[in-house]
Amino acid sequence: MIWTLFKKEVNSYFSSPLAYVLIGLFSLISGVMFFNLLVSYTDGIQALPQDYTQTVSFVEEVVLRLFANINFLFLVFIPLMTMKLLSEERRQETIDLYWMAPVKEWHVVVAKAASALMIVLAMLLMTGIFPLIIYGVGVRDFSLLGTAYLSVILNACAYISLGLFCSSLSNNQIISGLLSILGIMFLWMITWGGTLNSNYLVSEVFTYIGITSHFERVLKGLVGTQDMIYYATFILTFGFLSVKSLGRRNW
Amino acid sequence: MEKILVVDGVTREFPGRIAVSDVSFEVLKGSIHGFLGPNGAGKSTTMRMIAGLMPVSSGKITLFGEEIKPENLSQKNKLGLLPENAPLYPDMKVDEYLEFVAKLHQIKDVKSKVNDVLEQLSLTEVRGRLIGNLSKGFKQRVGLAQAIVYDAPFLILDEPTNGLDPQSVVELRDFIKKLSATKTILFSSHVLSEVEQLCDHLTIIHHGKIRASGTIAEIHRKFRQGLVIKVGLGAGETLPDLSPLGRYEMTKHHALAQEEVFHIVFESEKDCRSDLSKFLIEKNLKLLTLQVEPPELEDIFLQMTETRK
Repeated sequence: MIWTLFKKEVNSYFSSPLAYVLIGLFSLISGVMFFNLLVSYTDGIQALPQDYTQTVSFVEEVVLRLFANINFLFLVFIPLMTMKLLSEERRQETIDLYWMAPVKEWHVVVAKAASALMIVLAMLLMTGIFPLIIYGVGVRDFSLLGTAYLSVILNACAYISLGLFCSSLSNNQIISGLLSILGIMFLWMITWGGTLNSNYLVSEVFTYIGITSHFERVLKGLVGTQDMIYYATFILTFGFLSVKSLGRRNW
Repeated sequence: MEKILVVDGVTREFPGRIAVSDVSFEVLKGSIHGFLGPNGAGKSTTMRMIAGLMPVSSGKITLFGEEIKPENLSQKNKLGLLPENAPLYPDMKVDEYLEFVAKLHQIKDVKSKVNDVLEQLSLTEVRGRLIGNLSKGFKQRVGLAQAIVYDAPFLILDEPTNGLDPQSVVELRDFIKKLSATKTILFSSHVLSEVEQLCDHLTIIHHGKIRASGTIAEIHRKFRQGLVIKVGLGAGETLPDLSPLGRYEMTKHHALAQEEVFHIVFESEKDCRSDLSKFLIEKNLKLLTLQVEPPELEDIFLQMTETRK
């Protein structure tokens, strides 16, 4: 059942220009960002005396910054992908097709989330060319590349889960998209609020609830159990809320 | 005859209003059951509750002897629904869409079933086209195709002929008639003549309450008020005062080439044709036609939905 729903969703993305536009735009922007980071890195290296060039880390200056910027791009790209997933089905009343069939709410949520993740993976696949370029120019330091990809994929999963829930709240996809963007911004702001707060306990709680601290740790290769628990809890909570929101029809 | 659907004292409340109140009726196996009511009467709400898309606030709906509950998956393949707005994906091709619906219902041999349905509804020529690019008539047929592709024995069709051109209406009506050989159908429509042609049983709903339910003949018998007589007089002649024959009302009058036709409703149901013919001839009028007319469903419907507000 999930496979049938998933295939339909992926086909739906690719039968409209949306997926191509998003993937194309993402590749273009991330390509420009990568180019700028490379240029500023080489300019910085050239400006330094020969003895100090080893102190500037390529991974930190280019790879980690690039993936942090990709995370920033997701603020807009993922809500654009998820906003119509449930709201459009409700508006067109096609969602009734599922409830007329032996389909459960969680089947729909899992299939739709997986299809959105597919598009994210297709976007990230486009960035696979960057390590090849770096390798081509002689850089061999790929130490944090794996966790950098892991960090943006985990963040994407969290944003998709949140976006899907927002999409289940309204029949209007613009409202769903805006809610989703605000939700992601809120997650970022909580972390900033944590770092600015002088109370130790409040600061710790805010930092844990916000997504940024976990993202940064995974991005830098410091993958800890608490981060994995955070992501799992976040994704499952919003997945559960989406299921419950779809179940509202039974009230 | 076996009761396929039993709606028993069903009420549905929304915040601040009651959409349907204490609704009860039954649908018998193999029948086409008409569901009539003006806009906002509660037809679609009732149909959605029967389809398990909305829970009842109180009362009980039983389909094939089992109570309908939205979460009851065992009933999902027994009921096909064509809602007022067919649930279509504009960016899907017709055959892809039907295959998707068939797969959702986990039927075997999806391809051949889809091909059958495409052929039955004359959709083969558009099978590879995007649904969004089809005409209203074709879209409605695709909507009907999704309701029957998994072979549900009970169908709910909510105003299926609404907005179609006359040719498509006739074709769709014929198809529904054919379907009734193997399926039980609950059919709502605004077109009363259509309901009279297609349905053997009827339920009339107004302001969320059932006004009448039964066979069309029963409803005619029950709600018939007075005797309707069609009288044809010579061209240019007018109907004289008929009050010596009893209380009456002239409901319709139209002029043909050589005949003036009047529809007269006598309050008493006693057949007064012999007295009437004698009366008219004595008045030196040319009596060309004299016959008892069956009361029209439209009259009964209007009587129920207007006078009982």
